[in-house]
Amino acid sequence: MSDRLDSIDRIDPALFTPAPFDAAEAERSGYSRYSYWRSTIRTFFKSPLAIALLALITILTAFSFLYPLLSRTDPNAVALETARWNLKPGAGNGVFGTDGLGRDMWARSWHGARTSLLLGFVIAFIDVGIGMIAGALWGYVRRLDRIMTELYNVLTNIPQTVVLILLSYILRPGFWTIVIALCSTGWLSIARFVRNKVITIRDAEYNVASRCLGTPLSRIIAKNVLPYLVSIVIMEAALTIPYSIGAEVFLGFIGLGLPLDTVSLGNLVNLGKNNFFLYPHQLLWPTAVLATITVSFYIVGNKFADASDPRNHV
Amino acid sequence: MSKEALLSLDGISVRFGAGRKSFRAVRGVSFELYAGETLSLVGESGSGKTTIGRAIMRVHPLSAGEIRYRGQRISGAVNARSERLLRQKIQMIFQDPMASLNERAKIDYIVSEGLYNFKLFKNEAERLAKVEKALLEVGLLPEFASRFPHEFSGGQRQRIGIARALVMEPEILIADEPISALDVSIRAQVINLLNQLKRDRGLSYLFIAHDLSVVRFISDRIAVIHRGRIVELAASEELFLRPLHPYTKALLSAVPIPDPEAEQKKKLVIYDPSIHDYGREEPIWAEAAPGHYLLGSPGELAAWSS
Repeated sequence: MSDRLDSIDRIDPALFTPAPFDAAEAERSGYSRYSYWRSTIRTFFKSPLAIALLALITILTAFSFLYPLLSRTDPNAVALETARWNLKPGAGNGVFGTDGLGRDMWARSWHGARTSLLLGFVIAFIDVGIGMIAGALWGYVRRLDRIMTELYNVLTNIPQTVVLILLSYILRPGFWTIVIALCSTGWLSIARFVRNKVITIRDAEYNVASRCLGTPLSRIIAKNVLPYLVSIVIMEAALTIPYSIGAEVFLGFIGLGLPLDTVSLGNLVNLGKNNFFLYPHQLLWPTAVLATITVSFYIVGNKFADASDPRNHV
Repeated sequence: MSKEALLSLDGISVRFGAGRKSFRAVRGVSFELYAGETLSLVGESGSGKTTIGRAIMRVHPLSAGEIRYRGQRISGAVNARSERLLRQKIQMIFQDPMASLNERAKIDYIVSEGLYNFKLFKNEAERLAKVEKALLEVGLLPEFASRFPHEFSGGQRQRIGIARALVMEPEILIADEPISALDVSIRAQVINLLNQLKRDRGLSYLFIAHDLSVVRFISDRIAVIHRGRIVELAASEELFLRPLHPYTKALLSAVPIPDPEAEQKKKLVIYDPSIHDYGREEPIWAEAAPGHYLLGSPGELAAWSS
């Protein structure tokens, strides 16, 4: 014990410099040059699955919009000779084979994907647009809360299928009919989601602080509300797209879908299911395209939602 | 202490909700805040103390009464000039530093928000200089301006909140439980900062708290609030030495004593509101001793004061 004390005494004091307490230095903290969007994107791209699926979505979307422009194959061209009907996928038969009227399944799948994607994008745009505006008003304007809540309760209590069937009686089947049918109820859930978020923000202390500083409403919306909603909006849009495509298939199944001469994934799946036991490829290939698109959008949307949460930013 | 009333509250009431479900959070509260003093509002949770602070800041509308700043009405419908005066001269510090800063904005914007609102700078350089000065004043480094709130500790965040209020050069700071969400080791830091600002800038504080030991340390006068009414108002030491209202006595008896033996022997006073019989005699707000005000019926006042 005394040996150790001696050895301590023998240490040269010149090796040490005193470190006085510096109040300013004590305040210095970790610094990350943080940017919300950069961190969101970085967190998002950390997931290999997200990158792969985002690439897949980009390729699929680009291909389904480019294919109809570049290819001369008519998706509605019927083969007159029965030998061209119901061909299995393979050499000389088209990549996905042909359907019961000899129409090229490869061309039909991509034309269908384009129609369905377009439908999904339009519905997502309208749903999110209306849902955002209605939800923001519902949440921020106290007087509207009661009326909007009642309206929401009434509208959500009507079964959607009934609304869709009634609308199909009034409107002729077509692209915009489906848009109207799905958007008539689709905006409600987004509006409620946005409303809940806006109420949380409205009553949050930082927003009360802004009001105490006399911040005008325009800047409260721009600085306090919107930055918290953007990520939600992108996620909602990303999730509405696969939902709309799926809903179109369902509408086609119950006979309210697009007219039969319009190629869509919904129509392809319905035609394919009739011949499923004899010619499974006619159902499987369009379904594979459909599933790839919807699952990819769904997972990418969820991954983005996770990445947009600052708690997941390191 | 000069006896110039900076802020006067005259019989204010705040009502939440409408119709049969309405609830009066604040019932006929009157007091004055003098220049250079710290007035504390103490009371249990839900007694309406935060609501009074927020009513002054016009976050909650008054259902009755009037609030004046240097004789000028700042409650109800006011013109843009009064609004501007209120926003500049009266500022607020919030309870939870984790919730009171906008997570998606940089400190630079958070501190200069009020400056932008009233265009209190001639050019960008002046704005930056003001932000820097405010940050230095609360003991933070000027380069913090380019960072985001989540990069700071609770005590630092609370000081950012104080800087945001200071940059407006207010005369009155309403501090809504500014230390109750902080770690005990950080509390002294913020309390000392508030005391130093009071000395340097001649600020007046309306300090809202439930921690009586802290309140005793920093206040000049204390108002005890119970169920939306002020039941007793007196100078800090006077209130601690001679509490008159039974609720104040109960509240003071609940303060923990840092001595296990004394704490064990301590007799808790329990307040029972049913001792008041206000059906026969309306309670009045009266001066029981010089500067010592009480709420009670004339009979009670006589009994308590003797």
